[in-house]
Amino acid sequence: MSASKVKMRDRKMKNQPASVQYSSPSAAAGSSSQNGRQEAKDSGWQRNPPPRTGWVRGNQRDGGGGYMKEMPKYITAGAFARSRAAEVKAMLKAVTKRTGSNHVFQALPKHMRRRAMSHNTKRLPRRLRDVASKMREKSLQAGSKKKKELPKSKSRKARRRHGNLLLEFNRRQRKNIWLETHIWHAKRFHMVKKWGYRLGDRPTCKCYRPCYRAMSSHCLLLDISYYCCIELQGEEDTLLTALSQLTSKETGPTFAAALCLSGCRQGSVTVYRAGQYPSHPLGPVTFLWRPRAEGSASRQLWIWAHPALKQDLLPELQRVCECFEAVVPPVIPVATPAESASTLESEPKPEVSPKAKVTPGGKRKRSRVDAGGPPAKKILGDGTRSPDTPVTWKSSSTGIVINDLTMEMVRYRLVGPQSHSVLTESLEAATDCDAGQSQASSLWWPQHCRDERKMNLHQQQAEVFKTLKGIYSSGEVPPGTVLGLTVDDPRLTLPAKKVKAMPSVNQSQEADEEKRRQLMLRGVPQLCSQSCLWEQSVRDNVTENKISEQELNRMRSELLIPGSRLSPTPLQGRIPILLVHQPGKQVGNDMSSWGAGWDLLLPKGWGMAFWVPLVYRGVRIAGLHMSLKRSQNQGAPHFPHDYPDCPAGVRFQEEQEAELLDKFKRRPPAKRTNYIKHGCLAPFRCPWQQLVEEWELLTRQRGDGLARSTTKPKEEEMTPQPDHTGTKPQSVFTVIRSRKSLRLLSAWCRLPTSRGQRPGRGGGAPPLQQSAADAFLASHRMSVAWVRLSLLSKGKPELHAMVCAPTPEDLKLLGKRDAGTCPQEPPHRDDFKSKTKRRKKGSKKGAGPLQSSDYPGTEASEPFVYAEPDLVLGVWPDPLPSITSHCSRVTLGWITEGDFSLSAGCGEALGFVSVGGLLNTLLSQPEEHRGKVLLRNPSSLHYRFAQINIEV
Amino acid sequence: MVRVKSRYLLCEVNVSESRDLLLLDDRAVAGAVRSAVARMHGDYGAALCSIRLSVKYLNVHNGMVFLRFPKSCYQLLWSALPFITNIESRGQQIPCFLNCLHVGGTIRTCQKFLIRYNTQQLQRILPKCKNAAEKDQVCQEILNCLPTRGSKPTYEGGSEFEDERE
Repeated sequence: MSASKVKMRDRKMKNQPASVQYSSPSAAAGSSSQNGRQEAKDSGWQRNPPPRTGWVRGNQRDGGGGYMKEMPKYITAGAFARSRAAEVKAMLKAVTKRTGSNHVFQALPKHMRRRAMSHNTKRLPRRLRDVASKMREKSLQAGSKKKKELPKSKSRKARRRHGNLLLEFNRRQRKNIWLETHIWHAKRFHMVKKWGYRLGDRPTCKCYRPCYRAMSSHCLLLDISYYCCIELQGEEDTLLTALSQLTSKETGPTFAAALCLSGCRQGSVTVYRAGQYPSHPLGPVTFLWRPRAEGSASRQLWIWAHPALKQDLLPELQRVCECFEAVVPPVIPVATPAESASTLESEPKPEVSPKAKVTPGGKRKRSRVDAGGPPAKKILGDGTRSPDTPVTWKSSSTGIVINDLTMEMVRYRLVGPQSHSVLTESLEAATDCDAGQSQASSLWWPQHCRDERKMNLHQQQAEVFKTLKGIYSSGEVPPGTVLGLTVDDPRLTLPAKKVKAMPSVNQSQEADEEKRRQLMLRGVPQLCSQSCLWEQSVRDNVTENKISEQELNRMRSELLIPGSRLSPTPLQGRIPILLVHQPGKQVGNDMSSWGAGWDLLLPKGWGMAFWVPLVYRGVRIAGLHMSLKRSQNQGAPHFPHDYPDCPAGVRFQEEQEAELLDKFKRRPPAKRTNYIKHGCLAPFRCPWQQLVEEWELLTRQRGDGLARSTTKPKEEEMTPQPDHTGTKPQSVFTVIRSRKSLRLLSAWCRLPTSRGQRPGRGGGAPPLQQSAADAFLASHRMSVAWVRLSLLSKGKPELHAMVCAPTPEDLKLLGKRDAGTCPQEPPHRDDFKSKTKRRKKGSKKGAGPLQSSDYPGTEASEPFVYAEPDLVLGVWPDPLPSITSHCSRVTLGWITEGDFSLSAGCGEALGFVSVGGLLNTLLSQPEEHRGKVLLRNPSSLHYRFAQINIEV
Repeated sequence: MVRVKSRYLLCEVNVSESRDLLLLDDRAVAGAVRSAVARMHGDYGAALCSIRLSVKYLNVHNGMVFLRFPKSCYQLLWSALPFITNIESRGQQIPCFLNCLHVGGTIRTCQKFLIRYNTQQLQRILPKCKNAAEKDQVCQEILNCLPTRGSKPTYEGGSEFEDERE
């Protein structure tokens, strides 16, 4: 700002004559800039040298020195003339040259000015046109640097033509992967770029509560095709031994869990780096074994992982399975299914050929980009994939083949108790075809029909699917149940109007009742979990032979009775699918199986064909935002958010911090929250590492203190502990995931009188005592625990709210149950405010050295490097002071997600607390207030009481 | 237009000894004006001087001065100018008096007047020249300071200096 002002002033004063005078030594420094101007002007003419040498100026001409002394009389006229002439020249320059703005027309008198002169040079008088056009070009050049003009050569109509639109879409898909439902979402959702995808975040319509209602009473639909599937093939034993390095039994069932291994259940595990169990977690994955086929020991396993996790997971899997030989995709024709599809679908040729022409170029570019990073298969639009990036790796030693099936399948998630009725209503088990037996077809279904056994299986699956219709809620099915099925093209049964799928429970008969009970208790029989979706060839066949929408509509229009169902069903319209049950809320006591639902797995290319029929059954559609809220309501950690110790979680935290800080900086400084005054050290991130380290130090100090002060037996208990910790100095914090430890913590956190079943469940846990806590701490020094907090009074916890330990006085306050009273944090002082301001001023002047001299004492002794990058008003600069003791209440941890929970009717939050801090707090609390903590939002001074829960 | 209005006085500093002129500087002139006004009009005058009085331009070779006064009180301040008899500069008393040549509303009018006045002066000394060399010199200067359209080379020279400055 000031720089531009100075610049403008310079321009204005450029032609103005400065005073012609000799500078005295004292004034030399002050008017240096004037002198510069003066010098330049002076040198234009010869002037008298000064008689005194005290203030002689540098650039005097030769021979002038003695001039004046010798001929004082003679000088007068000449000097007079010279000085006059020089002055005239200077003044002339000042008068004639324009100053200020450099628009030509401003030199014109007002009455000659015309409207829009700067736009059209012809409106200027002719003598000024040259100058004006020159200026115009200059300004245009300057403008073009900033923004390049868009070549909108084509008309809208041309742009919207199908072929051109497709080209445009392909071009846009080169940067980010689009899901198959992208266009549908883009019309209705706020789209965000995440993990290399373009995903819908939240709908543009207001539907937070309707979506919640859909989740809790009907059905919510999410497109989660962005989840990456990695296929592992090999011998069961070798697979299990390889994978066992990644997991630990302490965190729950592993890949080898019997139910999951049989293939009729989906399992979920937390994956660690090979053999490094408590530390270096990677993240959670779900996995699905293919049911055993008779007569072959080879098994097939799908691991579904979040895309943020894939780049860590895939190399780890390769390492574990020793699969390093990349198998280059064998034939190029595979890469252009669009071509082959076009012949069948009778798409107009000219549309496809440009597409085929364009895509290889894009692919090549991308593969070059990807060469450095981990190899990832990219999908361009509908099933086009890069031909030269390896997606398959095999191992010669173990015989395992890893196959990256990212974007090879579509996965929809239906959440809610009625999701099964939506499924049963929109899908129909495939009708078998008799006509197919005679003709040798390339389609898979007729061939499939010929096999008696397969048809029997299909019958059984259809039966189960029919039974599914009768159950009351999706949560009744055993969690993780898998059902394979082959269905008809759902577009054929598309209702004319949107209808809400309702359960049909009432038509119950004895036989049905029995079957239903079987389904609810045992789940789907193991046989029925088999599906043709596992076969690569079938998937490709189905994808290639999809009837286009256009063709389908043409067939419909040829029907004799408009609006009736197409029959017989076209042979292409049989799709193998997998239905995977998603468990709802499994932890905690209330609202169990909330948010249960089904996942629908489809071969690629069929996304929209299933999406629209599902939408027509009255489901709500949600995006990433709602899936986060779902996991929050469900009390389950959400992947990148609630895994701060995983690499993906760390990356996410960094991104989130940058985003929040950017958002914060966009506000005017006077309207920003001053987090320093609120005593909030890290409003945009959670420095877990520092927290854990501080708590470790605190507990150690306290332990030493206790050991010194307390009686002998306690000292004996205490002394081994420091040695224990000294032997294994863990540098990185971890999240406790071991079930045993969590159960123990959970039992300690619970109120002793709260629930009836508690003695039964937590009976094995030792009572909370100093010794037990110390023993626990010894093994989990550098750990944080994932906790759920529910507020006891009003208040809505926000992101990165602090979890603090209450003081005994606070607990007394709680005993009164006075609704209005809650402890408050005294406002802090912002010592950085003046510094920030001074720094700002300093930078304006450009006076760097002034600062270091300005700061006395401690500040001056510390080098100011840390504050150099960004000293944002209201946020602590980087080396944070002690986190735990910064506020009046000791900080235990932070909230990673918090909101008013519609299911619980109070504020609920999920976060992490340091284990050491938690145990210290629990130990110091009386029995009746066990597990009570304080919660404070970053932008508030009020503490709210909350009950801590750890659920296993 | 809405702006702060001023009056610019183009004055000539007349001294008996021309080399004394070279000792002048703008602060000395301003100080002399201030003290004269204070002497004539007392505290009120001194206060008026503190408003926006400044020396915008001073040429020590011929003693031309631009003085800026606020428009509201320029007459009062102007009335004190004849009482300046000497200017103290660099520790020396320079006996002099100020002769007001022009009063303008902008610097620009003053500059225009100064151009006219200077050319006039040059033309006036031309007949008074005593020898041929001197005459030639003055003639040359007169030609030099004709309107710039005729004198291309000097103009270009000027622009060169501009570049140096930037």
